[in-house]
Amino acid sequence: MATGITNINNMAPELPLQFSEDLLSTPMFNLIHSFGSDLHYAEAHIGKTTRMSRYERLSTDGGQLDGSGIDPAPEVVVRTDIDATMEIYAKTVVINEQVTLYENDKVLTKFTALLGQWLREKEDLLMRDLYASSVSYINATGGVNGDQPSEISRNDINNIERILLGNDARTMLEGIDADLKFGTAPTRDAFIALASTDITPDLQNVQGVLLKNAYPHQEGLRPEEYCSVSRFRFFVSSKAAKIPGASLLGNTVYTIPMYGLEASAKIEQNNYSAILGYRPPYVVSSVAQNSQLYAKFAIARAITNQNWISGLNVTSRL
Amino acid sequence: MPFTILTGDSFTSTGVGVKINLPSSADYFVTTNITQMPLAPNPGVVIRGEWYGSKFGVGATAANDGIRWKKTNSTNALLIDTFATSTASNGFTYITTSPYVEAQAANAITAITAASPAVVTQTNTYSEGDFVRLYSTTGMLQIGGMVFQISSVSGSGYTLTGLRAAGFAAAATAGFTRRVSKNAAVDPEFLYITEITKATQAVVRTSVDPTPYYVVGNKIHFSVPASFGMKEINQLTGTIVAVSAANYTVTVDIDSTAFTTFAFPTSASSPTSALFATYAPAGSATTFNPNTLVQTGYEFQKTPFHTGQFTPYMFLAGGAQSPAGASGDVINWMAYKLET
Repeated sequence: MATGITNINNMAPELPLQFSEDLLSTPMFNLIHSFGSDLHYAEAHIGKTTRMSRYERLSTDGGQLDGSGIDPAPEVVVRTDIDATMEIYAKTVVINEQVTLYENDKVLTKFTALLGQWLREKEDLLMRDLYASSVSYINATGGVNGDQPSEISRNDINNIERILLGNDARTMLEGIDADLKFGTAPTRDAFIALASTDITPDLQNVQGVLLKNAYPHQEGLRPEEYCSVSRFRFFVSSKAAKIPGASLLGNTVYTIPMYGLEASAKIEQNNYSAILGYRPPYVVSSVAQNSQLYAKFAIARAITNQNWISGLNVTSRL
Repeated sequence: MPFTILTGDSFTSTGVGVKINLPSSADYFVTTNITQMPLAPNPGVVIRGEWYGSKFGVGATAANDGIRWKKTNSTNALLIDTFATSTASNGFTYITTSPYVEAQAANAITAITAASPAVVTQTNTYSEGDFVRLYSTTGMLQIGGMVFQISSVSGSGYTLTGLRAAGFAAAATAGFTRRVSKNAAVDPEFLYITEITKATQAVVRTSVDPTPYYVVGNKIHFSVPASFGMKEINQLTGTIVAVSAANYTVTVDIDSTAFTTFAFPTSASSPTSALFATYAPAGSATTFNPNTLVQTGYEFQKTPFHTGQFTPYMFLAGGAQSPAGASGDVINWMAYKLET
């Protein structure tokens, strides 16, 4: 070793580390389970259950007058009530003063942002649970992996389209017009399908799949969108519903809700939809050393029309 | 303060597992069997159970386990070990997320009879009323993947009240089960259909007791693939006019007299047949009789969409050798949280 040279061997850096100018990203999963739901609002002071009602259409049978003067039999109007119970969720972070004193970052600001992210993620999972629990699904059988349900196939997707169209469901997304661009193709007006990222290799193999990059236009597309098949546009999330060990052979089953307009509802409580708050140290701690951040929100959820939502249970192959 | 007692209470055991909803995450949970504590039965029973959370690191309690304080046979001498050791029994399972399952280890079946109701032969530690998912049911593949409620449970088997399998071609000779939650993440939940009668008011049997989820006046929407025969009822919505906890049935105002007979697909065709037949909640239609002043069609605790299972919660396995005790035992319980 050279002598007489002042180097880091004999004079170590004063600070052992330094922070980069920017924080790294906090992971966040794709939020796909709320944007297709109708948003309703509940007033305060009138109970925690919200009722959404629908008058069913009248029968089109008969109705011709034969000239006898006898009136047609009256039809009793049917009203269907869909009810949902408001529920409140909360998360809190308690911070010791030494954290705020020594941390380089403005931790209260950062932690508030984390709580905001929690709000949106929790809401997404609650809507996912609604779809996973309260909707009838059909096992895919058009695949070749030998399990029941099989991996997803075009025939299975067409079957769900037939069910939705047969029940007079309306598509939710507008078509994308063709354009003079190589490798692109138009999409039809479409229903929504929500799937796990675990099955994206299988989605790529479905007959007729149009991956997102092959849409003629990319403006306004959500980053969570993956592809289009037939009358469905697929949105994917790592937190989409799946049930371990639920297939005929004991493999993981992925649940794919597929639906159109007004199939489900998300109800927010007026003045309580999302609350972020701060409790100062003199409130939280007897020696004023701990402060508290919290987030709260209220939500009710419901499947509002089972005729306009269906879906597939699938396993994976690839 | 080193810890907080979150909450505590007592219950009288019915011999089956018990869920204790917790208002916050817990670090320590304890049960005491007040009824058995002064006694010296033979065989000895568990009189106290303890559970330690993840804050205890390597000392944390595994799922379906915990520390048990057990009377030795016919004496007051105590034996302290874990639920998983010695003669294994079920213990504590702490659930923090939903959807979720409690103890879910795969367990092999040796037979399912082609009878009505079907009877399963299986060495098990399940409790009365548990829900299990069946899969790889050799010879009876048409039910592979379905969830059933079990009854008449013994250590060697149980009955599937919701499965009328007399019309099946053969018994199952092998398969597996996993215990799953009794509540979906959201209720009312979809249920698996196992039978629909041809009648002016169709009687619909499900694989589990429907009465915790549905009441008279609720509407249900049918999804019945053509592989189950009665394709005419597919996508219809009916109103429930009767429910039966004993038979796992609901009766709906749909005239199925002229419909095709409902039948499971064969086992051989099941890997390629569309499964399953189900119904799902489709709202309610309240009625009011001005003469009797009786209103039907609604229960605030069941009808509105709501969270099926509050989390976090502690699941206490039932039975004399488990924390929830045997039928008639009074169990005290307390949940604690460390502040540091």
